[in-house]
Amino acid sequence: MKIKDMIVMCLSNLLKRKVRTLLTVMGVVIGTCAIVVMISLGLGLQKTQEEALAQMGDLTVINIYNYGNATEQPLDDSMLEQFRQIPKVVAVTPVYSPETWGSVMFISGKYQYESSIYGVDMNALPLLGYQTDAGELPTGGKYDGVVLFGADSVQNFRNPKSKRWDEVPDLNLMEDKIEIVIPFENDPKNKKSISYKATVPAILTSDWSKNPSPGYSAFMDINYLKKLETEYRKLNGVKVDKNKVFSYNNVVVKVEDMKDVAAVEEVIQGFGFETNSMESIRKPLEEQSRSQQMILGGLGAISLLVAALGITNTMIMSIYERTREIGVMKVLGCLVSNIRTVFLMEAGTIGLMGGIIGVGISYGISFAINTLSMQGGAGGGMGGIGGMGGMSLGGSSIIPWWLVVGALLFSTLVGLASGFYPANRAVKISALTAIRQE
Amino acid sequence: MSLIEVKDLRKVYRIDQERVVALGRVNLSIDEGEVCCILGTSGSGKSTLLNIMAGLEKPTRGKVLIGGEDITAMGERQLALFRQKNIGFIFQSYNLMPTLTAVENVAMPLMFRGVSRARRDKEAKKMLKAVGLGKRMKHRPTQMSGGQQQRVGIARAFVAKPKIVFADEPTGNLDSHTTLEVMEMIVHMARDHGETLILVTHDKEIAQYADRIVRLVDGAIISDTPNQSIIGREEQAQPEEAATPAKDAPAEEAVPAEAVPSSEMPSPQADDPAPLPDPDAFPS
Ligand SMILES: Nc1ncnc2c1ncn2[C@@H]1O[C@H](COP(=O)(O)OP(=O)(O)OP(=O)(O)O)[C@@H](O)[C@H]1O
Ligand SMILES: [Mg+2]
Repeated sequence: MKIKDMIVMCLSNLLKRKVRTLLTVMGVVIGTCAIVVMISLGLGLQKTQEEALAQMGDLTVINIYNYGNATEQPLDDSMLEQFRQIPKVVAVTPVYSPETWGSVMFISGKYQYESSIYGVDMNALPLLGYQTDAGELPTGGKYDGVVLFGADSVQNFRNPKSKRWDEVPDLNLMEDKIEIVIPFENDPKNKKSISYKATVPAILTSDWSKNPSPGYSAFMDINYLKKLETEYRKLNGVKVDKNKVFSYNNVVVKVEDMKDVAAVEEVIQGFGFETNSMESIRKPLEEQSRSQQMILGGLGAISLLVAALGITNTMIMSIYERTREIGVMKVLGCLVSNIRTVFLMEAGTIGLMGGIIGVGISYGISFAINTLSMQGGAGGGMGGIGGMGGMSLGGSSIIPWWLVVGALLFSTLVGLASGFYPANRAVKISALTAIRQE
Repeated sequence: MSLIEVKDLRKVYRIDQERVVALGRVNLSIDEGEVCCILGTSGSGKSTLLNIMAGLEKPTRGKVLIGGEDITAMGERQLALFRQKNIGFIFQSYNLMPTLTAVENVAMPLMFRGVSRARRDKEAKKMLKAVGLGKRMKHRPTQMSGGQQQRVGIARAFVAKPKIVFADEPTGNLDSHTTLEVMEMIVHMARDHGETLILVTHDKEIAQYADRIVRLVDGAIISDTPNQSIIGREEQAQPEEAATPAKDAPAEEAVPAEAVPSSEMPSPQADDPAPLPDPDAFPS
C-alpha cells in the first residue's frame, strides 16, 4: 500500500466517527493545555524570580572578599591579572578605599567632600554596566585627575563652618572647579598641602545593586588613587610596615553569562579566596522553581495520561467494530504491516490534533493570565508600592517555542504509544474468524 | 504440472478433548483455467478445503502447491503478497467495506498492491461496467441490493487479474433468479480471462456451471468427474455420480483425486465456445 493511501484510510476512519474522534481529541486537548499552561506558569515564575534577583544584584558578578588572612596568597595586582586570564571573565576590578581616612580630599569653594572614595579599574566600569546621569564614562587609560561622582554624592559636600546639617550645597560637580587635595597634617588649608585640579567627565547613576555602589560616593582610577596615597605618606612622613604584604580587601569579577558563574567561582576558590555571588542565592531558588515546575508539569502529565487511556479505549472500540473489515482486508492481501501503520497513524493523528488545538488554547489561556496579572500589577503599583513591586507580585505565563514543539511531539508520541497495543491487536485478528463472523 | 496440487491434506480441529476430522486425506490437482466445483453437504469440509487452498488456514498435515510453490509453508507476509498477486475471493456474505463506494471497494485489491489511485479507479470502473453496474459507481453497499453487492464482489475478485478465484457459496444469500445471473457472471468472467475458478457449493444445480465436479463427503473426496452437461442438461449429469466407485468409502480411504486425472478430461469449453446457460432451462 502507498503511504498516501494509508493516510487517506486513516483520516477517513477518523472522520467516519466524528463525535467519538472529537471526544478523544478533547481529552488530549485538555491534557496538552494542562501541561503547557502549567509549565508556562513555572517559566513565568522563574522569570519573575530572576528579575527579582537581578534587582538585588548583578547575577554575573562574583565578589572576592579578603580580610586578614593575606599571608598565603596576596590579592594584589598580579593576582588580578591571573583572574583576567580565566576563561569567560569579562572584567576585573579592585574595590579599594584609602587606608587612611582623609588622605585624599575634594574641595570646591567653601565645600568639602566628606564621604567614601573608591579606587577602581576605570576600564572595567562600562563592562560592569555602570550608567551615567550626565556625561560619559572616561576611556583611553589616562585617568589622572579624573573623578566620577555618584548621583547623590553632591549631598556629601559640606561647609565645615556651617551649623546646619540639612544644607544642600549649591554645586554643579561637572562644571564647578573642584580640587583634589593631599592635606598636610589633616589640614587642607595648610600651605604645605598639595592640590590637583579634578576633571569630572560624568555623574554616575545611582544603583544599589552594584558593588561598589555609586550613589553617595566618588570613583577614581586605582592607580591614580594609590599614587595620591603615596604622596600623602611622603608629605606627612607616614611609615609603611615593610613586612606587610599589600592585598585588596574586595575584588569584583564579572563573567560573560550567568551560567559561567559557578565555574569561574571554582577557579578563584582554587587560588584560596572566598567568593560570593548571587549564584549562592540563585541556585537554591532555581532548584526550587525547577521542582515547582516538575510538580506543575506532573499535574499536567496526569491529565494527558488519562487522555492516553481514552485514545487506547477508542482504538480498541474501533477495532472491535472493524474486525470484519480488517479480516477481509487481510484475505484480499493487505499486509499486516500496513494495517498496523494505519492504526498507529490514527492514534498518532488524534494525539497530534489534540496537541495542536491544545497549544492554541494554551496561548489563549496564557494571554488571559498575563493580561489579568498585568492589570493586577498595575493596580498594585498605583497603590504606592511602586512599579517594580507590582511587577514582581504579578504571576506571568511564558510559552517559548521549545514548549510548543515539545508539546506537539509529546502529544503525538502519547497518541502513538496509546495506539501501540490496539494496533498489535488489529494485526493479530484472524482473517478467517473475522470473515466468518456474522 | 497442474496449477494447484493438493497433497495428502488432513485437517483436524481440536475442541477440548474432542477431535473433529474436517478433512481426511485429500488429494486433488486442478489445471489452469479450470472451473472446478467442490460439491458437498453442510459440514462436509468444503470451506475448510477452500480456506487451506487459499492459504487462510494451515492444514494439520499435507501440503498445497500453487504453481509449484508450497503455500502451506509460507509465512504471513509471504502469503499476503502471494494472495495480492494470485488470488481473488468471492464471499457468500459479499464482505464489502460498508463505508466505501462501489469503485473504492472494487479498487481495494489494487490499492493493497500499491497501484496509483487514478489507475486503480480506471480498472475498477471498467470492471463495474463489465458486471453491469456502470450506473452505480458511487453507491455504497447499503444503497445496493444483494445481487448488486455480489456483483461488486465479483468485480473486486477479478479486478487484479488473479490466477485463481475462490468462491465459497457465492449465491448463498441470493434468490434463485439472481443466483443464475451471478453464477453466469462469475463463470463467464473466469472463462473470458482464462482464470481458474474454485467454486464451493452444496447445490447440485449450481455445480452444473463447472467443468468438473469434486464431491466431498465427511472430509473425503468421493467422486471427481468432468461435467459433460455443463448446464441445462442435468438429466445426463446424474449417472456419473452413480458410476463413482468410492462413494461410500470412509473418509480416510477416499480415492485420491488422481484416480481421475484432470489433464485427461476434455475441456468442455473446447466443444462449446459459448457455454452460457439459458436461465429458463433451470427448474425454479
Ligand atoms: N474453526 C473450527 N473449529 C472447529 N471445528 C470446525 C471449525 N471449522 C470447521 N469445523 C468443523 O469442520 C467440519 C467442516 O466444516 P466446513 O466449514 O468446512 O463445512 P462446509 O462443508 O463448508 O459446510 P457448510 O456448507 O455448512 O458451509 C465441520 O464439522 C465443522 O464443524
Ligand atoms: Mg462452508
